[in-house]
Amino acid sequence: MDATERSMLEAAAHDAFAAAGDRPLDDALATLGWPEMLVAEPRDSIDVVFTALGRANGAATALDDVVAAGLGLRPRPALAVLLPGFSHWRPPGRLEGGRVRAEGLATARVTTAGELLVVCGPGDGSGAAHMVAVPVAAAAAEPRRGIDPGAGLHAVRVDHPAEPSGTVPWDAAVALARRALGHQIAGAARAMLDLARAHALDRVQFGRPIARFQAVRHRLAEALVWVEALEASLVAAADAPGPETAALAKAVAGRAAAAVAAHCQQVLAGIGFTTDHPFHRHLRRALVLDGLFGSADAIALDLGRRLVARRRVPTLVEL
Amino acid sequence: MRSGHDIGRSPTVAEFRDRLHEWLDAHAAELAPRHPLPGTLDEQVAQMQRVKAITYEAGWMRHGWPERVGGYGGSPVLRTELGAALAARDLVDPGLFSLVEVLAPTLIDFARPELAAQVVPRLLSGAEMWCQGFSEPGTGSDLASLRCRAVPADGDAASTTAWVVNGQKVWTSLAQYSDRCVLLARTGDAGSRHRGITAFFVDMDSPGITVAPIEMINGVREFCEVFFDDVVVPADRVLGEVDGGWAVAMSILPYERSSCFWQRIAFLYRRLEQLVGLVAGTEDERIAGVVGDAYVQLHALRARSRVTQHRLASGETLGAETSIDKVLVAAAEQAVYDAVRRLAPATVALDDSPEGERWRGEYLYSRAATIYGGTAEIQRNIIARRLLGLGADD
Ligand SMILES: Cc1cc2nc3c(=O)[nH]c(=O)nc-3n(C[C@H](O)[C@H](O)[C@H](O)COP(=O)(O)OP(=O)(O)OC[C@H]3O[C@@H](n4cnc5c(N)ncnc54)[C@H](O)[C@@H]3O)c2cc1C
Repeated sequence: MDATERSMLEAAAHDAFAAAGDRPLDDALATLGWPEMLVAEPRDSIDVVFTALGRANGAATALDDVVAAGLGLRPRPALAVLLPGFSHWRPPGRLEGGRVRAEGLATARVTTAGELLVVCGPGDGSGAAHMVAVPVAAAAAEPRRGIDPGAGLHAVRVDHPAEPSGTVPWDAAVALARRALGHQIAGAARAMLDLARAHALDRVQFGRPIARFQAVRHRLAEALVWVEALEASLVAAADAPGPETAALAKAVAGRAAAAVAAHCQQVLAGIGFTTDHPFHRHLRRALVLDGLFGSADAIALDLGRRLVARRRVPTLVEL
Repeated sequence: MRSGHDIGRSPTVAEFRDRLHEWLDAHAAELAPRHPLPGTLDEQVAQMQRVKAITYEAGWMRHGWPERVGGYGGSPVLRTELGAALAARDLVDPGLFSLVEVLAPTLIDFARPELAAQVVPRLLSGAEMWCQGFSEPGTGSDLASLRCRAVPADGDAASTTAWVVNGQKVWTSLAQYSDRCVLLARTGDAGSRHRGITAFFVDMDSPGITVAPIEMINGVREFCEVFFDDVVVPADRVLGEVDGGWAVAMSILPYERSSCFWQRIAFLYRRLEQLVGLVAGTEDERIAGVVGDAYVQLHALRARSRVTQHRLASGETLGAETSIDKVLVAAAEQAVYDAVRRLAPATVALDDSPEGERWRGEYLYSRAATIYGGTAEIQRNIIARRLLGLGADD
């Protein structure tokens, strides 16, 4: 995708999401050419679509497509994917005695799709991840409102007869999902910063806009530092794709979201504490997205264990 | 073994890096410090000048610098790679080495071409050291308030053949080793702020200059007070325009905030790895978490700095957005050394071996990361005003 095509897609995503209002954005995404564009142009389409989703605070099930594509499958609306449980990134299923047993999360697609894809990790002794598709009717899916009802997540259990199929590249799917989530968080972080910045310029106290107070300015500056660091980490993950750079981008995303949310919430103060103001939606979404495919804390700990075990601290990206 | 002369005038960055590392491997013994690390400041400075001489001689130190100052041209990213490789191999101290990036571009952009052609190769090849005389006892963050004064020796500013400098600088890093100083002095009236400052390239052996090293918090005498008593500076040593010193001072930032940072980042990865080696066997369940957190912070910085280098390499002019890099580099450096202090507290506090001295010295020095080169607060002021468009503050 060249720069012009990319900015056209950005504008189209923005318009389509704005027109959809509070409705789920899956139809809007379909009109943009998703998920075909995911297959054709994974890098730019993930970046643009998930950034726009984050900014719009939109609910969509596009993450299922990203995981499917990461597994090497053709994404399609009738295919839902079982996501790992909150804070985890291990394959959510196990294959034992001719049955698949799984516990995890799913997007709202689990209520509309025909099939649910369950990736099963070690447990059969092979160490490799296998894939099983079960009819969604065989899965017990319960909506989880939680802190962010708009996210449309479901808690899902599966216990169904199944045989192991071929192995699938779970690590690659995790990496792609983490990049998508990283972009969505970056979009949400930009949105929070935009809201706080506009408020700082608008809100007058002590006879002047609060943007004139250094304590306020420095919080917003710090928020921008985190947003920019996150966006750069996502560039690194796309330029040097792999499990580590994707893990790091997701960890930076979690850290950035927490810092940006804290600074912006403080600047928005009372108005940002109400549900009349849109800030709270982004705060909620960021908390949920941090837990999908590993929180910043869990990923940092895991990376740290690897560094210590190997006694190596690799730089990963070069000029 | 191909040297830096033989890889052509415009190698790709990856080519340059690969060949350079091959060459550094082959010359490891020759380049290795002659002293146990950390060594005294005298030893560190001598080592750096020796490494500069060897790498200049072999051509590496000339890539990325313009041909008119003895370089081989090519992208500035090439010299960034060299600095990063030297720092990551503990061959030079990245802080000392970074002064090349801080000072040479100023001469290239603002000195008379003949002067630049004469002196820049001497800096690159380790024949000379230079220092930066900006800060004064009454002037730190508010650089435009500086008072060190330069007046025409004969006639007016336009016709004088020389300037006479009086005043004091402080915290001037490595002034005691330096052959020259890039000096900012007031040439306008007392209230002229940034409009009345001129940059000079001053020989440090000029009569009337006194240098008094100051001991820093880590016990090293790296920076100095520098006194100017009727120091005569020839008019052809003005850098840029008379009263145009502000532009000279501001022009330093892009290089300081790209190449220098990449070198420091390379060094920080190495030190984090060495910390892992130091503490890996110990029973401390915090190790993985603390190391992992520092790694995440370091990666965010490296990713950002990489984007900045690519912008520089593609010919973009870097500006206020490098304040983001500056905030990140300071935060990451302090995160790495906070990890050192948390995981190896006895090493930092009590270990008198050279290794302990080194960790302790670096830990203490890391506290300056939010002070030098523009404090963390000044960076946030710039980000708020220039990048977020929040207007003037109170
Ligand atoms: C290791 C080291 C090496 C150095 N090397 C050199 C060198 O080679 N050459 C050279 O010229 N200088 C050098 N310096 C000096 C350095 O540039 C100054 O220390 C720096 O600019 C800060 O100035 P200051 O120390 O006077 O602090 P001040 O400017 O007095 O600031 C004190 C505190 O007030 C805060 N503050 C000041 N103004 C504002 C504001 N507008 N808004 C919010 N907070 C504010 C600062 O952030 C800081 O926390 C070096 C310093 C160090 C530590």
